[in-house]
Amino acid sequence: MTMGTYRQQPGASKPEVRKDGKRVAGKQVFPPPGSGGSEPTMRPRDLDFIPETVGGKEPKPAGDHIHDRDRTGTVVGKSIPLVDSNAKVTGQAWYGDDVRLPGELIGKILRSPYHYARIKSIDTSRVEALPGVIAVSTGKDAPNRFGVLPVTKDEHAMAVEKVRHVGDLVACVAAVDESTAIEALSLFDIEWEEIEPVFDPKKGLEDHDEPIHWRGKYHLSRTNVQKRVFQEFGDRSLVDSPFAASHGAWTMSGVHHGFTEPHAVVAHWDPNGRLQLYTPQQVPHYTHRALSTVLDVPMHQINVVRTFVGGGFGGKSDPFPHEMCAAILARKAGKPVRITFDREEVYWINRGRHPSHIEVKMTADTDGRISSFDIDALIDGGGFASFGHVTSYYNGVLATAPYELGSFHYTGARVWTNKPASGAMRGHGAVNTRCAVEVGLDEMAESMDVDPIDLRLANLLPPHSRTISGFRITSNGMREALERVREGSEWDTKFRQLPLGKGIGIGCGFFISGSGLPIHWDPKNFPHATVHIQVDMDGGVTVHTGAADIGQGSTTAVAQVVSEVLALPIEMIHVRSHESDTSPVDLGSYSSRVTFMNANAAIRAAIGIRDQLLKAAWEMLGYHPNVLVLNDRRIYYKHDPAVGVSYLQALHKAQADTGALIARGAYRSPPMGGVHKGAAAGLAPAYSFSAYVAEVDVDVETGQVSCTNVWAAHDCGKALNPMAVKGQIIGSCHMGLGQVLSEKMVYGRTGHLQNANLLEYKIPSVHEMPHVEAIIVESSDPEGPFGAKEAGEGPLLPILPAVVNAVYDAIGVRLRDLPLTPDIVYAGIQKHLRKLRLEEPEQMQPPRLEHGPLQPLLVARGDLHRERDRLRQRSEDTSAYVNGVLFGFDPDRPLSEQHEGWREAYEPLPEQLAELGFAGRAWLKKEQRQIQREEEEQRQLDIDESEKPKIAVEHKTPPKDRKSKRGKSQKIRREL
Amino acid sequence: MLMPPFELHHPTSTEEAVEIAASLMENGEAFDWVAGGTDVLPNYKWRINPKPHVISLAKIQEAHVLNANEIGCMVPLADLTSENNVHPLLVEAAAKVASSLIRMSATVGGNLCLDTRCFWYNQSEDWRRSIDWCHKADCGTGADCRVIPNQNTLCVATYQGDLAPNFMVLNASILLIGPEGERTLPIADFYELDGMKKNVLLPGEFLLKVFLPEDAAMRRGCYQKLRVRDSWDFPEAGIAASWLPGNPASLMVASTALESIPRLHTKEVEDHLEAGEFDPIALAKKVQKSVKPVNNTALPPRYRRSMVKTLTKRALLGILE
Repeated sequence: MTMGTYRQQPGASKPEVRKDGKRVAGKQVFPPPGSGGSEPTMRPRDLDFIPETVGGKEPKPAGDHIHDRDRTGTVVGKSIPLVDSNAKVTGQAWYGDDVRLPGELIGKILRSPYHYARIKSIDTSRVEALPGVIAVSTGKDAPNRFGVLPVTKDEHAMAVEKVRHVGDLVACVAAVDESTAIEALSLFDIEWEEIEPVFDPKKGLEDHDEPIHWRGKYHLSRTNVQKRVFQEFGDRSLVDSPFAASHGAWTMSGVHHGFTEPHAVVAHWDPNGRLQLYTPQQVPHYTHRALSTVLDVPMHQINVVRTFVGGGFGGKSDPFPHEMCAAILARKAGKPVRITFDREEVYWINRGRHPSHIEVKMTADTDGRISSFDIDALIDGGGFASFGHVTSYYNGVLATAPYELGSFHYTGARVWTNKPASGAMRGHGAVNTRCAVEVGLDEMAESMDVDPIDLRLANLLPPHSRTISGFRITSNGMREALERVREGSEWDTKFRQLPLGKGIGIGCGFFISGSGLPIHWDPKNFPHATVHIQVDMDGGVTVHTGAADIGQGSTTAVAQVVSEVLALPIEMIHVRSHESDTSPVDLGSYSSRVTFMNANAAIRAAIGIRDQLLKAAWEMLGYHPNVLVLNDRRIYYKHDPAVGVSYLQALHKAQADTGALIARGAYRSPPMGGVHKGAAAGLAPAYSFSAYVAEVDVDVETGQVSCTNVWAAHDCGKALNPMAVKGQIIGSCHMGLGQVLSEKMVYGRTGHLQNANLLEYKIPSVHEMPHVEAIIVESSDPEGPFGAKEAGEGPLLPILPAVVNAVYDAIGVRLRDLPLTPDIVYAGIQKHLRKLRLEEPEQMQPPRLEHGPLQPLLVARGDLHRERDRLRQRSEDTSAYVNGVLFGFDPDRPLSEQHEGWREAYEPLPEQLAELGFAGRAWLKKEQRQIQREEEEQRQLDIDESEKPKIAVEHKTPPKDRKSKRGKSQKIRREL
Repeated sequence: MLMPPFELHHPTSTEEAVEIAASLMENGEAFDWVAGGTDVLPNYKWRINPKPHVISLAKIQEAHVLNANEIGCMVPLADLTSENNVHPLLVEAAAKVASSLIRMSATVGGNLCLDTRCFWYNQSEDWRRSIDWCHKADCGTGADCRVIPNQNTLCVATYQGDLAPNFMVLNASILLIGPEGERTLPIADFYELDGMKKNVLLPGEFLLKVFLPEDAAMRRGCYQKLRVRDSWDFPEAGIAASWLPGNPASLMVASTALESIPRLHTKEVEDHLEAGEFDPIALAKKVQKSVKPVNNTALPPRYRRSMVKTLTKRALLGILE
């Protein structure tokens, strides 16, 4: 059947002609109101990109998908350049600092020179007297608190009472030019009272005279602990007699996103008194909310305009105090105010990955099953909460997959210190623990004399299962990812066989694809994402979404899915996502949610438009939509392409009575997960999986590590745009390599951040980049848009452990301080030499592997599970599967009816307190409300006792030592 | 980041340059020389000792000379290539400086006269205020050194130029010009402690040219640079070595990025050769013992010192090949 000669341009309307050849009076000849695209004729259907389940040729090994019938073979699955790439490569994209409004003033921020100090007074009279200064503002102008999470609003536009780190905001000025503004900063007269600062997160667990924040009755004693978490699942009795074990204590430095564009903001109160705020934000909606709170202005009087974002990676997802400052200054000055950060200020606002102390213990039993993960994570939050509440959970719960565990135990604590605030960064909360866990598995495999890939393959959770903490796993491409990197890297001929200084290592990853809980509302009341589509007579399709394209390509993804459903070339789709005035409310770009949630909403909206077009075509052709086909700007009868109408004809017919076509679509995640405290943390409608193999060269004399090759397999469900997915994988490798090899926020002896610039903060250059073989695994997620899941954050996780494990393979030294800078590796080698009484590093022997008796058992189980997984993935086996089945857990019976050992706990038992890890020790402290209650009880007791004095003396219990007292008080609390 | 204002002078001859310097000095006005500006201007933006006047050497014809034995101070590092008949050791060293983009602007003179660097010094004004300034940029406060507190007399900022040790082992000399006239001296004598003084330049004097002796071309050299990344980074330690192949007496070793000035290790080499056979490893240990890096660069001093041995060994093995 030939298809390709059907014209897409509707002709001009035929003039009605009178018998004498003249035009009928009042009957104008109308030219066509739109064009059907630049190609005059229809292209044939691209069957290679139409699923085999609906008659195409695209293989669907995972079975059919609900969106298969919405595929038109137009653009989904094809590598296309991002739709905004022309603007970017020609330098015409307008980033934060490119916004120039007439009459703008330059804002500058006065920052704290002290780590921790009380502001006793600020005198601004000299500043105000400086010619050219138009507005000055201090903390007292904006006393309302804000924060990205409603539960931890602890930030002000500028310090209200105390400054909490060097670089904290104190005041701001707006002046006619930058030099005047800079000069003005030196004219503030401030009386300070310094307070003893805290830098070491371990000291944050101790009581202090002046905790960095005060949470009232919820404050934990007088410590600087912001959040503590305890979680225990599974059968802890399995831990007691392990066959193999691994134990490692890690120190991970804080790292920064290192995005290219520094923060910049322009605020302008328009003539109607509405605030127009231009800012490169990942999450414009939170800024919108925070502005409303801080400025005491209703949200509808604020329009947040997201400029192009020059990289975010989580570092532009908080509402920021400088955004408030610009708005406050602009309101005072009556003119637009622009604030652009220097690089150093970017480091002071930070929100990078938490510096962490992580301890991971794990055990395996004689069958090579993973009987326990014990994780303790103490994370350094810096001066503010930011996303820390969530990070505290993620450090544990995101380690509960992809492996089936006998038991899981997590203690976590986030402490405030007098440093720039840590926050969310690509791979939020999961990266550090993942590295520790994957290296632990490598170590455990070694002690079991088995291949670490086979150990993993024999312990994977299947598709459509539940993790030990209650996460619902749907599609799962973990096994395929592992198998493909094993094959691609020729693992079996290299692992433990390379010469000294050359190594190969494996690491896996698991990440959420969209947070199941919208931070600011109940998903039952309001969807996660909404998309509006409007199609007017010109045929162009305008898509309104609040999804923030931060370079990851969300605009392209949304344009692609609309293009796919409507069978229109992508240049006919125009995505409008910059302004909160026109965009439906969206949660923004974080937690890898945009493709999953927005594209799903966009598909629904596009189906709404498509159905209107099909209905019109039905009226015109007389064929029911069920037998109509959409392909390249044309709708035609399935069995005879000659019988059809062009897209524009159908569109004009459809809008004859209503005008422009409008449709909207929304996405909300299904109800899922447990009900326990913290159950929502880490809950997502889908999860991504990845496995990387890294090859490294280690210079054994200098300790310099260079990563030479990476085989990176990532399960993104379905690659809507393979080029974009590969870009994310390679970019993730770069970012992860930075963290594992060179990037580090260095805090010196005095607590100052020593390297707040891009020369000393060592982001890998092109020379340090290995060859990355990006392998896309497509497990087709049943709920993802066309099967897609995230690809933005998950791909970062495995590179860290893969490199650390490869370094071990190269030199036989386990290193647990990140980054593995040459001095760390060198010190490790030297220590190793001393231990082995060797003179020169060249004498070291790299580790070797002789398969033990467990190896064939694991291989056999892996093979068995491959078939199990295949059936489950294709929904040919729909039985329930809950973590623990491997250990005899019956998935069809409730927890209470399982054998005795299985439990869930969210607070430590008194007898556990003594053996908790570093972060776990936060559970030795009591909350203020409990302390008060106990004091109250004690007072009551004293009164009671004074009423019956004599007997009481006789019954007085002997004084106890501190420890048992603690145990007792914990017990009381538990009973309460 | 805003550049503080300064007046830029553009002399077209050495005489004019010296004249401008002399008259500024007479009026008591501070100034800096600038060649490529890749070191001075970032420091200015950070308000590290900015001056009201800057004299550019860019338009002085003589400063652009480049041949096998003469290299002008204005020659961009990118021009130090073997096509220009430059000694292979200098080609190797220049190619390891910063990044290819920076080498288009950065010059030989600028690299030799590079300001010393320190974690506590190469920071913004706000940052330095937060540590109450430091000895090298004390803003009139008489602040103490932050690297080694309580000594207050010495600046221990580190010299991190790559070219100096290589010129040293090629026996280069330099031509300095100032109001007092011109003088030529061996490059090894150019550097003088401490981290603030850096070199022997007198007020109003600048480095115009580097001369290489005729026999430099016969020398075989090797430069080993320690850095975290293969681009951008200043050396954390650098060892240059050269000899007239087969002649141990001609052996020269120099180091950089370990102390406030680069150093020619004449004494260590002589002691070693007097003691007996030329043994790269034994000599490497000697050189290692003679340097004392401090904690003010990206990598810890202990590690940098350990690496001196490895780098020296590799440099020596490199020239033996």
